[in-house]
This record gives sequence, C-alpha cells and structure tokens, in this order.
Amino acid sequence: MSDTPTRDDQDRTGAPDHGMPDGPDQLLPDGDPVEQPSADTPARRYTDEQKYQVFNKEFMPHIDSMYNFAFRLTTDEDDANDLVQDTYLKAFRFISSFEQGTNAKAWLFRILKNSFINDYRKKSKEPAKVDYQDVETTYNSEDAESEHTVDLRAESVSDLIGDEVATALNSLPVDFRTVIILCDIEGFTYEEMAKILDIPIGTVRSRLHRARNLLKEKLRDYASSMGYKEESEE
Amino acid sequence: MKEHCSHQADCLKMIQLILDGEATEQQLARLKANLVSCQPCIQMYHLEKEVKELLTKRMEKKCCPDQLVERIKTKILTFS
Repeated sequence: MSDTPTRDDQDRTGAPDHGMPDGPDQLLPDGDPVEQPSADTPARRYTDEQKYQVFNKEFMPHIDSMYNFAFRLTTDEDDANDLVQDTYLKAFRFISSFEQGTNAKAWLFRILKNSFINDYRKKSKEPAKVDYQDVETTYNSEDAESEHTVDLRAESVSDLIGDEVATALNSLPVDFRTVIILCDIEGFTYEEMAKILDIPIGTVRSRLHRARNLLKEKLRDYASSMGYKEESEE
Repeated sequence: MKEHCSHQADCLKMIQLILDGEATEQQLARLKANLVSCQPCIQMYHLEKEVKELLTKRMEKKCCPDQLVERIKTKILTFS
C-alpha cells in the first residue's frame, strides 16, 4: 500500500557530503553566531585561502535555498537580494565562528533569519501588522483547541496551484510562515529549526501545528471560492 | 470503521509528526492501525499529506539571480 506512512527522509536538509557532527550541540554555536561568537566555540584560525575555500564549498551551495527563504520572508525580490547579500557578507566576516563539517545550511539560515528580524521586518511590506503574540494567544485558547480540525478535504486542495499556495502562505503572520518554510519547503528537522529560531523544540512543534491550521483555513477559503463544494461525510 | 473520534486533536498532531519524520516508532504503529480503522484519521492523514506536498512540490522555488552570486563573490574578494 503506497500510502503507508514512512519516515520521509528524502527531503532532509544538508548537502549530501556534509557529515553531520556527532554532538548535537555542534550544530550551531551558542548565542548569536553573527554578533558574538560564543566562548564555547573558539574561533577557527583559517588562512585567507581556507576562508575562501569554506565560503565556496560550504556556503555558496546553499545560495538558492537562501534566496528562496529570503524571498518567502520579504515577499519582495529587491529585499531578498539585499538580505541574501547582507547574510553572505556577514557569514564571511564571521567565518571564524563557523566550524567546518557542521551544518552550514542551518548556520546560514540562522544568520539570515536574524538579519531579517533586525533589519527588514520593520520595513517589509507586511499588510496591517499582525501581533504575533495575539495570534499565538488566541490559538492557545480553549476555543481553538476544540475546533482543532479545519473542515477541508484532501480532494479540494489537490487542484490548487503553486501561486495560490504561495498567496495563502504569504497571508500568514511571518512567524507562522517561517516555520512552514523551514519545515516543509527546506526540510529542516525540528531540532535544526529550534536552533535557527532560538526557540525550544516544543514551541517549534506547537507553532508549526498552529501555522498549518491557519494555512488550511486559507486554503479552504481558496478552494471554496473556486467553486468546490464542501463535501459532507459520506 | 470508526466514523467519529474524540481524539482527533491529538491524532492530528501525531499525523503531522509522522509526515515530518519526527514521530516515534510507537506513534507510527498507532497511526498505521488507525489508518485501517478510523475514518477521521484517514481523512486527516490524506489532507495533511496533500498540504505538505503542495508546499514541497507545487510552490515555485526562487533561484538566486546570477548577478547577485557574482556580486557576492566580488565583494568577498575585496574583503580582507
């Protein structure tokens, strides 16, 4: 039976050649890798030649994913260009806090996310800024728990096209959008996401859950506006 | 076949863990059992899978423009 659930590892992140380090804590340096390399991760002494080598072999292969992430966050090509450039220049400037062989993609995504929050979020073209705290509180409430499932059928979303999905995704508050991008589009594990976002794994899990419920509500609106009839139970 | 279920909220969370590759063996086994016996689980599973596939497969992946790649490489070279 082809629909038997399996652990779907094929889209897991990381360039195939990177051996993931054994120690989970090696994934990323503690603290902000950009502003203050942690004392736990002593600066590598790379020669200039090694710096370029690390940059080209470990960082550049992720540039399309980074651009896609930047574009999904800013929803603007010029901002995405600037954000990716800033991130790569920062990554080079702080390359001594990157340990070769560790997860470069997660390290870069974390820098990009921090740059976005610090420099772009304010000027990004978010329509009527949604207070994330508000949304999360609402979704934490008892009411939200009881209406846990969105009345939507797989058949009604199967004909949606990419642009419609993108529009639905873009309409989510940025913190919810971010977890969906990291998980479903980039294939990061929960643990990697926790480190990229500086939040506990439990928060990753619950935020993702809420994000998907919101997304399904948007998709349902789409599907029904396209004339799909909400089917009732057979 | 169970038509209604009072654990839907928990099952939905479990289904998402499974599709994300983050579930335990026990959770996997529980879902497999539910998929032959529980209508709400079957529907939720197919919907979650479909939504995830929409995001992974049907959304356009933006590629970094070549000029930007070149610009970054040039800037890096004048860095040190």
